[in-house]
Amino acid sequence: MSPQIEEVGLSTTAERAAVVGAAGSTPDKDWVIVTRGLKREYDMGGEIVRALRGVDLAIRRNEYVAIMGPSGSGKSTFMNLVGCLDTPNAGEYWLSGQLVSTFKDDELARVRNKEIGFVFQTFNLLPRASALHNVELPLVYAGIGSAERKERAMEALTKVQLDNRASHRPNELSGGQRQRVAIARALVNRPAILLADEPTGNLDSTTSEEIMKVFETLANTGQTVIMVTHEPDIAQHARRVVVLRDGLIASDTKREAFSAKLVGL
Amino acid sequence: MRLSDLLSVAFGEILANKLRSFFTLLGIIVSVAFLVAVVAVIQGMNAYVKENIAGAVVGTNAFQVRRTPIQVGFFDDEEMKKIQRRPRISVGDADAVRTAIPEAQAIGLTTGFPTPQSDIAWRDREVGDILVFGITPPYQEVQDYRFDAGGPLTDTDIAQRRSVVVLGNEVAEKLFEGVNAVGQDVRLGSEHFTVVGVVAPKGKVLGQSFDSFALIPFTRYEMLYGRRLTTTISVKMREAVQVDDAMQRAEEAMRVAHRLRPGQENNFSLETASALVDFWKQLTAVLFSVIPAVVAIGIVVGGIVIMNIMLMSVSERTREIGIRKAVGARSQDIERQFLAESIVLATTGGLLGVFGGWAFATLVATVSPLPARITGWSVLVAVLLGAVVGVIFGVYPARRAARLDPITALRAE
Repeated sequence: MSPQIEEVGLSTTAERAAVVGAAGSTPDKDWVIVTRGLKREYDMGGEIVRALRGVDLAIRRNEYVAIMGPSGSGKSTFMNLVGCLDTPNAGEYWLSGQLVSTFKDDELARVRNKEIGFVFQTFNLLPRASALHNVELPLVYAGIGSAERKERAMEALTKVQLDNRASHRPNELSGGQRQRVAIARALVNRPAILLADEPTGNLDSTTSEEIMKVFETLANTGQTVIMVTHEPDIAQHARRVVVLRDGLIASDTKREAFSAKLVGL
Repeated sequence: MRLSDLLSVAFGEILANKLRSFFTLLGIIVSVAFLVAVVAVIQGMNAYVKENIAGAVVGTNAFQVRRTPIQVGFFDDEEMKKIQRRPRISVGDADAVRTAIPEAQAIGLTTGFPTPQSDIAWRDREVGDILVFGITPPYQEVQDYRFDAGGPLTDTDIAQRRSVVVLGNEVAEKLFEGVNAVGQDVRLGSEHFTVVGVVAPKGKVLGQSFDSFALIPFTRYEMLYGRRLTTTISVKMREAVQVDDAMQRAEEAMRVAHRLRPGQENNFSLETASALVDFWKQLTAVLFSVIPAVVAIGIVVGGIVIMNIMLMSVSERTREIGIRKAVGARSQDIERQFLAESIVLATTGGLLGVFGGWAFATLVATVSPLPARITGWSVLVAVLLGAVVGVIFGVYPARRAARLDPITALRAE
């Protein structure tokens, strides 16, 4: 198992396969995410759409990765699989040392609750609940009591500097504030990975920068961040960029080499 | 997910849509209110019949020897023929009963069916359709009559066939309007009578007055109207425990008087106040068997409305379900959440219905002569009914919510 992801470009399938290791073997605990030959097909009215055709990817703890690709490249499908909202047709998906690709619905729900923090393009906050209650939500499903929930939710809101807006409802908050509430919700259960799907897609450029700073700070404090985006500006903030095309990884680049690669896109 | 969280979400949703929740529940509320109110009125009437009517008609610690049984409803033809073949009750029968029960407090005779209705007039005033009964004095004791003015009919009145009358309270009120009735000359039909007494009010039952009568000596009555088809012997005992034994002896005496051979059926009837109560209960039992059917229809319709609204709520909140699933809600958490919502909703409907029924029953008791008594079991049934409806009609929408695919749900508008 090679830890030299920064050194090698991992531009070929063979190289990536070497990194992710042999099928069935538990990855080293440094790797928070390992996918081996991940495949996902959809039956669209008799026509089989092969959204992912065998993705090998390894992501180390504390990494800040952007997943890019044109529409139809399979990045949304990949995102859903990584987020445990969907299960693959073939291949392995290891998350924090667990082979989650074999998990059933209830186990997946538990993984989503404990290991994954979602941030969506459209924020996806409960409209009638206060910011604090929105942040509390994952803790509700973790079965944590009300007092501890409130305390931890406040803590998470403080991290995104919204502790003074705790009692506001989403419609009383700006877009940037809403997204920060969503980030606080994603963080509240101390997940292994923070999974962001076009987190700035509904925001203006100033607010986008503000949100990207939040991600930056989180990444700097050791939070693993995976971000799906089609905007190169946004992807630029990440330290590693994985580009998908036609259901396969087209390139996998660390930040230093990014600018040069971008030209070739 | 904790129960307290489930309930708080459920209440939150219901309160967020107060008006919609109310209209959703209308079917349940009305059905349950109907159940509670009708049961309350029937129970109230049962108690009332037991306490008032039975005593008023038969008398307490008393029984009657009659040609015909007391019947609520109609006889069928077969029974009717049998009853028509029975001999009439005679004064001699009364003597036989009197001999058989020497310790009786009072044994009186009353004329019965068909009771003549007559107009009664005093000076230029007239009151119509008074029930005229011929009685012997002990009947007044059987009935526990108290007198507002004057006194009862006496044995002398009977013996001399005097034209004297005791009036029911309502008749006296209407006819004399405050003037002392005793000693006044009234016309009953075409005959002149002197008022000797006015009976204290017995009250009204279901709008039917028990105070609209005129009592005249039994002997005078038979001169005017002839022997009735039914004459009733009323026997009053001093203690309730004596009644059964006295009834047995009265039955034997009557069989002897009517020359019945052993094995032959009685050609008379013995009735007690409790028999009347039993008849009343038979009648209300019919109501009690109809009510559940009516309530069931209302509840089912109400339940379908709840199911419909819950399905609507599920599709409205598809995205919310997606969000909840994304942050870790299991399918069963979602199912429980929606089930809790429909149960809370329906139970609230049950409670509102109980309140509505209680209010309605109280209103009925206040503005009408119908009494009403709220019973604990009807309230319990109503609330349980609400909860059960919530479960039955909530399961399907909750399952649908639980089965939603999180990815699709998150994309929903």
